[in-house]
Amino acid sequence: MWRKAIGYSLPVIICLLLLLIAIPGCQQAATPTAPKTTAPATVATATKPTTPAASPSATAAKPTKDKIIVGMSRPLSGPLSVIGDSAFRPIYETWVPRVNAEGGIYVKEYGKKLPIELKIYDDKSDVGTMTRLTEKLILEDKVDFLWPACGTSFLFAQAPIANKYNYVLITAEGGATSLKDMLPSLPYVFVSLSFSDWYEVPVLADLLAAKGAKTAYIMYIADLHGIEYSGVAGIELPKKGINIVGIKSVPPDIKDLSPIIKEAKALNPDAFLALAYPDQVMPATATSMELDFNPKAWLGGPGVNFGFYHTAFGPAVEGVLGWTTFARKSSPKLAELADILYSGKPEETNDWWGHPLYWAALDMWKAAIEKAGTLNQKAIRDILATEHLETVLGDTWFTIIGGGGGLLAKECHPGEVGQWINGVFEVVGPVDKATAQFVYPKPPWPKK
Amino acid sequence: MLTSILDVLIAGLLLGGLYALIAMGLSLQYGVARVFNISHGEFIMLGGMATLTLFTVFKINPLIAIVICGPITFVLGYIIHRTFFRHLLTSLPIFGEITILCTLFLWTVFRILADYNYVRLNQFAALAICLVIAIILDFALNRTAFRRIHESRVAAGVFESTSMLFSFGLMFIIKNIAFIGWGPSIRSYSFLQQPVSIAGALFGMNRLVTLGFSILIGLAFYFFLTRTRIGKAIRAAASDPTVAQLMGVNINQVLALCFGLGAAMAGIAGVLISMCYPVNANMGIEYTIIAIIVVALGGLGSIPGSFIGGFALGIIGSIVSFFEPGLALVAYYFIFGLLLLIRPKGILGK
Repeated sequence: MWRKAIGYSLPVIICLLLLLIAIPGCQQAATPTAPKTTAPATVATATKPTTPAASPSATAAKPTKDKIIVGMSRPLSGPLSVIGDSAFRPIYETWVPRVNAEGGIYVKEYGKKLPIELKIYDDKSDVGTMTRLTEKLILEDKVDFLWPACGTSFLFAQAPIANKYNYVLITAEGGATSLKDMLPSLPYVFVSLSFSDWYEVPVLADLLAAKGAKTAYIMYIADLHGIEYSGVAGIELPKKGINIVGIKSVPPDIKDLSPIIKEAKALNPDAFLALAYPDQVMPATATSMELDFNPKAWLGGPGVNFGFYHTAFGPAVEGVLGWTTFARKSSPKLAELADILYSGKPEETNDWWGHPLYWAALDMWKAAIEKAGTLNQKAIRDILATEHLETVLGDTWFTIIGGGGGLLAKECHPGEVGQWINGVFEVVGPVDKATAQFVYPKPPWPKK
Repeated sequence: MLTSILDVLIAGLLLGGLYALIAMGLSLQYGVARVFNISHGEFIMLGGMATLTLFTVFKINPLIAIVICGPITFVLGYIIHRTFFRHLLTSLPIFGEITILCTLFLWTVFRILADYNYVRLNQFAALAICLVIAIILDFALNRTAFRRIHESRVAAGVFESTSMLFSFGLMFIIKNIAFIGWGPSIRSYSFLQQPVSIAGALFGMNRLVTLGFSILIGLAFYFFLTRTRIGKAIRAAASDPTVAQLMGVNINQVLALCFGLGAAMAGIAGVLISMCYPVNANMGIEYTIIAIIVVALGGLGSIPGSFIGGFALGIIGSIVSFFEPGLALVAYYFIFGLLLLIRPKGILGK
């Protein structure tokens, strides 16, 4: 019996011993240095105080700190990783090494520049996991700052947690009218992304009305995003004399969109709006091509704004509209940002909507820390809420809602509505910020 | 009115063709190989993503990709069955199996630790360490514990549950490998996206091509099962594996063949799906669910049943979508539930 027991337990013991040896060995190999790069200075010229050379006596009097630890719960796996990996992730992965290459962020309280170290957990696209990880970051890891989770519904869960612990939260992917309504009670939350009534759909309505569009058909995804966008479109378009001739919701897992496109085609609207995600916008585009549905304006978003949309369909999508923020022609700073983010990379990585806003949000965060001269959340929150700061967008500020949190001021948005024109996703609205003339009616889908 | 009816019916057939192909593969794997393969959708994903790469990078026509992806997924499925599933049929693992599983497990642990910043080590160095640990463990287990146990075949029920659990693991492994290789982005390409009019109703040329291939492959497979010697062996194995073995059928070979064929059909379905819909590394599970519904609808293990079930579900989905697209999936589950109450064995189940 004893021989049998030893026979069974021996391999297990060997395995455990090996694991015990291997894991600390790996940990020793770990070097807690922030990502480094030899890239030049950041595009953003955030408020930059000159770094005084800290004398030994001065250093001794100041509190000590070697780095700013920023915690994030991100969807590194699961369905939301599609969005996370193409939206905020390339921004922080580019922005942080560039700031660290300059030595970090100057914090007067410590009399030196502090590099940023990221602590990222995978929430596996699960909102419950994300909330647990957010609390872990704040309570157990005691990170200095919190950066956002991915997606509007995740922000609904994360914003109150950040606010409860008085952690400044500048959001990235996600934004909603209903989130805006919560901001008066969330003074530590600042939303960076543009969204339906902030100020995309009103701009679209203006554009279409100016060209004489009279009718529109709306297909929207049956979730918070679709309901909000279709709701705002249902108000804004009729205000400008555009009749909604048909409206249909689709589930996220819909396979065949032909009944909807056929219905829309039969109603012959001037504009077709697919207010859904890439999963639905891409088949809607393909089905419109297959069924030769050629409205004068075809808008899909989010989805059309991504480089992978253009690589999937090529020149066939000339004239297709989507939500956007910028184009290379928007400003020299934004052109430089586009070069930093996209040059030498596949077109699939391009996102003409969110990227500059996320970059500007990080610029604002850095500028606010430098201006506050401390890592105190309240001081930084007050600067974000009250001051204009210099970012990649130029002069940038948050519009405070009901004395609480804020939205990145719509005046700072370099654009709202984009259109594929000669292979470039140009800004066509608002007109005063357009980088190209709005093409209406759009060219028909090419016949193959 | 007539055009609308035609519209809905043909749209249903177009969707149903794909469903039938997906379900036939799963039906074969479950009906004969007795593997309730939860990772079935991942083979569809592999077919779809591989076709996208072949088309966009190597400019290979997706129709030619069928003859590339089909055999590759067949070989993959065959090897998986001959190694992992075969040894779930018996009580003993073979030397090498523990090595692979343990390496994957340890490497996953390492990646989790790396994600949480507990470890920072080159991935390949970590893989090498994991491999060495796994080989030592495998050797130790084979020399000690497994040496004392005699090989015996496990009961059918035990195999069904263990193989299903294993296929869950397989699903995660394939999906994560695809994530590493292709990333999580949604991808698509344009192929035969031009309208074709049938009695006034418009359809995409690519969808008609997928329907044609689905029917062709379905019929070819049916004739393979009914008219060939291997087909007869497969049917015998499905009917009674023990007796089939006594009659001289190499049962392990047949089971692996069935699993491989099921994987090949999934791979081909993936190729056809990528011609009409966007694909991504995360798409597998939704097609697995559809396949399960169709297999239950057609009758567990019945290949013609799955073929009919696929088209039935496609037409039902199309009719419901015509009135309210949001209710299509609800209708699938409603039919599924109704069938379980009225005819639990499915349309052609025995």
